[in-house]
Amino acid sequence: MKKVLMPLVMVALLALVPFVGVQYAGLSYLFGVIIPYTAMVVLLAGFFLRLADWFRRPVPFRIPTTCGQEKSLDWIKYDRLESPAHFWEAAARVLSEVFFFRSLFRNTKAELHKDANLAYGSHKWLWLGGLAFHWSLLVIVLRHSRFFFVMVPGFTDFLDHADGFLDVTLPTFYITDAVVLAAISFLVFRRLKDAKMRLISLQTDYFPLFLIAAILVVGVLMRYVARLDIMPVKDQMLRLVNFSVDAPGEIGILFYVHLFLVSVLAIYFPFSKLMHAGAIFLSPTRNLTNNSRQKRHINPWNAAIKFRTYSEYEDDYREKMKKAKLPIEKQ
Amino acid sequence: MMSKKLIWIFAVTAIMLFAVLNVFRKGEAETPPPLSVHKSVAIDSTKCIAPASFMRANHMQVLYEWRNSSVRTGNRVYIASNGSKYEKSLNTCLGCHSNNRMFCFNCHSYANVKPKCWNCHLSPMETP
Repeated sequence: MKKVLMPLVMVALLALVPFVGVQYAGLSYLFGVIIPYTAMVVLLAGFFLRLADWFRRPVPFRIPTTCGQEKSLDWIKYDRLESPAHFWEAAARVLSEVFFFRSLFRNTKAELHKDANLAYGSHKWLWLGGLAFHWSLLVIVLRHSRFFFVMVPGFTDFLDHADGFLDVTLPTFYITDAVVLAAISFLVFRRLKDAKMRLISLQTDYFPLFLIAAILVVGVLMRYVARLDIMPVKDQMLRLVNFSVDAPGEIGILFYVHLFLVSVLAIYFPFSKLMHAGAIFLSPTRNLTNNSRQKRHINPWNAAIKFRTYSEYEDDYREKMKKAKLPIEKQ
Repeated sequence: MMSKKLIWIFAVTAIMLFAVLNVFRKGEAETPPPLSVHKSVAIDSTKCIAPASFMRANHMQVLYEWRNSSVRTGNRVYIASNGSKYEKSLNTCLGCHSNNRMFCFNCHSYANVKPKCWNCHLSPMETP
């Protein structure tokens, strides 16, 4: 259980840092200006450096995981998505992975029944939980654009409206807030419930989950419970977006906790499993076309092999072969 | 195996539904709060209920508390920290603040905060 408790304690400590720092040490400039900028630099630089690193790696051979008919003869129908033969088919495959988690949809679970029968069944909960989590998170991040633009873009304004569709509580309750909290709770308990999952889960699995959960909880507290004064928050976020280094105004302490935890997440991002956000586009088992039979793929770092052909052999031994009365092709 | 689980799920759901419905019934059975909507209070409309800096940061808390206590318990008198009394009404605010029609909207459109006040109340933008 140490690998669960340690990340939990770490997140709690991280949340305490800005609380103590701003409330008692008055370091609002550090937590409101310096750390957010640093975090953004680390996130962007780290993200692109790692992607560039992965992008430069040669992928000499086609290794897509296929589960459909490969393109061969014209009159044999092939599976465009499961065994893509062209760029756009592979692109559609990657995007369906990005937007709908297609391979998770195939998730199965093995169960040992009482009569010692091993049964495999469809198990969609991880797919559903993951999808709910990621989509809610996307909507929440887009909703935050109201802090980054003086005039809020129409699309996110619509998103904001649709998300608050239920029109209950004051300020309006967002559906995604509930969905994302439910989903992340499921994703945590999924790892804790099953012995096999507990065994393969590591600190690096729990830490981002707890960190994101803490960010969500603090955000929800700010909005529905503490009802923070939003004017200085918007001032500060507009300053950050415009690369200003002016000191922040009087902002509630929860804002600093939220911002600091987001900064920690941003710094942690390029060094962690969270890089799957960019890496999914570069994953060769998904983004390669299955065209080994149409095109020859040669490994670029193969050593040049000196082949000795028969005609060369004959050139070397022609006279001896003639003496031995062996048949020769060229006289 | 499965059916036993299902029975449990149904039982728990039924108990929860029953509990939730009962909570609402209780609320109905209570005697309604005394109607004192127009019991007039000597309204002090010469100054604000609190300093501007406090109101700027906390007006939503005050209005939220006013709405709940005046609508749900019928308590319409607000006693400020200096002892003066105000009627818990949006009109108390707008008595002075409607002189600037953009008083609410300037900041709210900047922060993109859209409370539902004007779904029922007449906004200063709509009054002539």
